[in-house]
Amino acid sequence: MARQEPPARSSRGLSRRAFLATTAAGLAGAAIAGTPAPPRPRMLQMNGYPLDAETPLDLLGRSYRTPNDLFYVRHHWNPTMPDPAMWVLRVDGEVERPLALSLADLKALPRASATCVLQCAGNGRAFQRPIVPGVQWRYGAVGNAQWTGVRVKDVLERAGLKSGAKHLHTFGTDAPPEKVPPFHRSLELEKVREDGIIAFEMNGAPLPPLHGAPARLVVPGWAGDHWMKWLARISPQAARQTGFYMDVGYRWPNAPGEPGVAFKPEEMHSVTELFVKSTITEAPSTARVGTSTTLRGVAFSGAPDVAKVELSDDGGATWTPAALGRDHDPYAWRLWSFAYTPKKAGKATLLARATDSRGSVQPKDAVWNQSGYLYNGWQSVDIEVGA
Amino acid sequence: MRSARRAASAIGLALGALLLAGPAPHANDEKPLPALGAELGAFPEGPMKALADQACLHCHSADMVRQQRLTEKQWTAEVNKMAGWGAAVPEDRRAALVAYLVEHFGPGNDSFRPVEAAPAGK
Repeated sequence: MARQEPPARSSRGLSRRAFLATTAAGLAGAAIAGTPAPPRPRMLQMNGYPLDAETPLDLLGRSYRTPNDLFYVRHHWNPTMPDPAMWVLRVDGEVERPLALSLADLKALPRASATCVLQCAGNGRAFQRPIVPGVQWRYGAVGNAQWTGVRVKDVLERAGLKSGAKHLHTFGTDAPPEKVPPFHRSLELEKVREDGIIAFEMNGAPLPPLHGAPARLVVPGWAGDHWMKWLARISPQAARQTGFYMDVGYRWPNAPGEPGVAFKPEEMHSVTELFVKSTITEAPSTARVGTSTTLRGVAFSGAPDVAKVELSDDGGATWTPAALGRDHDPYAWRLWSFAYTPKKAGKATLLARATDSRGSVQPKDAVWNQSGYLYNGWQSVDIEVGA
Repeated sequence: MRSARRAASAIGLALGALLLAGPAPHANDEKPLPALGAELGAFPEGPMKALADQACLHCHSADMVRQQRLTEKQWTAEVNKMAGWGAAVPEDRRAALVAYLVEHFGPGNDSFRPVEAAPAGK
């Protein structure tokens, strides 16, 4: 199922090396900043079955690419993990030549790769007020990874895409229990033909079973509900898919309303692009007047790049830019750091906001919606400043 | 009806087996973390626990419920949705189940903490 780590009980040194390898970037950062040793590699399990687990905030921004084993996991129900040797991807619908592609067939096509953010549509749901039902994700249902596979466009061209198709219907092998509706989805062909990938590798390793092996859809810039895991079938169609997870779930209000007042289905449309968002992943709890201290974080958007991240210690009246990390790719996150020198003693409350390459600015308050999707309000941290 | 739980256990056991082979302890010799999916929360003890177990646990662990902080109106909507999706709760016991959920997992619920679990394997 997955590569095994060396036995720890007989050889602590080996497992320590494995640990160090996963956190080398964090250690380097810690050494420079003089902060304590990096936090323990772990996940925050929100739900035992189906499995839902987020990356702890203190591990989130430690590397440009989120390690596979620290990447958040979100399952709708207990998946049927396909055997890669038996697996086929079916391509049917509005195509000249329906296909059944094995993993070897897929791997024979030209490779494509994208490093980009995958965020659960519900990340940050716990911060919605009034409170809404669902997995109470806080900060860590998001990660940035290199996804490698083949272009959706190339697969559709091989099948002979017909001109009338506008939507790509997607199906995974996971099936719901009881009378729960199936997680069938569709998305606009225009988007998925432009930059969609059928990925069988994650950060250079075979896509892990928990993340949809042997292959999943990658839709850069769009929320995770479009990134179908354990992909089994894609089908271009003239009309969009229907069903609970298209018509009721994963819907976003056409216009903001009054918080706490549920929108009707006709007042909403499907969640698509992510919203611009900055997350503070590391901040000191204490600092001293006149002495520089460092805050770090990540920022991302449904736009191809983040233009700037700014911090404020006066409630948002004035903002100072953070330094953006060098690594960036279209729809990937930017690591950022901010050297903060407090000017007065007492409690300092720092806020972070991001602006994307299209000019969208992260809002103070996210738009309330009854499912708690796409929360992107400002995050704050308190620092106790000593004289 | 039990298949979802069995499948979940199988995932937990598979992940657990990986960890038995090599739970990477932190440098500080902390206690090994449980595998993802290996440790599950339970509904509060009491006369309603059996009904909650029967209604909810076929499809998801109690964790999903324990982390909620919902009003009576919201819980009523959830219970009705789940009953429609096959949750085993008789019509004449829905109100009692809602009352139990509101009592323990109402807006004031601050008891849920995520389980700290070992990384999932590469």
